[in-house]
Amino acid sequence: MKVHAKSLTHSTVLTIALITLITVWSEMSKPLKDFLAGITGHHWVTKGVLAFVFFIVLYLVFSKLFNDYEDINKQGYYIIGAAILGGLIIFIFYVWHFFA
Amino acid sequence: MVHPLIGAHAALGELAVFAFLWVFVELLNPTEQRIKRAKLAASLGVLFFFLSWFLGGYYYVEFYGSDVKPIIKEGPNPWAHGIFMETKEHVFLFLPFLSLAALGFIYKSGDNLIKKRNEKIAVLLLCSLIVLMGLSMAAMGYIISTGFRIALEAGL
Repeated sequence: MKVHAKSLTHSTVLTIALITLITVWSEMSKPLKDFLAGITGHHWVTKGVLAFVFFIVLYLVFSKLFNDYEDINKQGYYIIGAAILGGLIIFIFYVWHFFA
Repeated sequence: MVHPLIGAHAALGELAVFAFLWVFVELLNPTEQRIKRAKLAASLGVLFFFLSWFLGGYYYVEFYGSDVKPIIKEGPNPWAHGIFMETKEHVFLFLPFLSLAALGFIYKSGDNLIKKRNEKIAVLLLCSLIVLMGLSMAAMGYIISTGFRIALEAGL
């Protein structure tokens, strides 16, 4: 299986960023949450489908645009950083949102 | 009110966590044979995370919102939904993509995992994060079901 590590890293990091952004934004904006719910019937399902399609499309596009890295040394760290940051943002946001 | 779908969702999530724990162990001191097994384990982990996503999602959309969420919100621990369920349902969405990234890196790096220590450490740390996030999903699931049980015991 031939894997394009640079595209995989970029698409994973940007998908995590998209999930984080759309989660917070849709809680702050009822019209956006209603719009997301209107697409599939539930806002969370739309977020999941959107994230999956976004990930696949970005991977395919970046694979055509970029040369791949020689190694994956730093790639894992970018993804780990994005996941920890995104998770913390979502958790802290919902703590604030619950008590606000 | 125990629903079999929630059990299947949790079991598949735990199997995915165990699969990436297996990957971690194989790659601590990798050989060609261990890398082959790590690829198999990571593939299974990806499959289990996606199955857990679909089953958990079906339960969440069809049953949780109508049968469980209102009771937790009216109960003594509404934060079980307001903080932990909301966090869980969104942070969970990271896991299928993190697992795909780990699988892709193992295929990309291949035998370099034996020769290049830095690549091995990066993949090990990514697998560790997947395991820890998976376990945190289980912990949040426990908090949510406890919030529901306490609300039922309160007579709601």
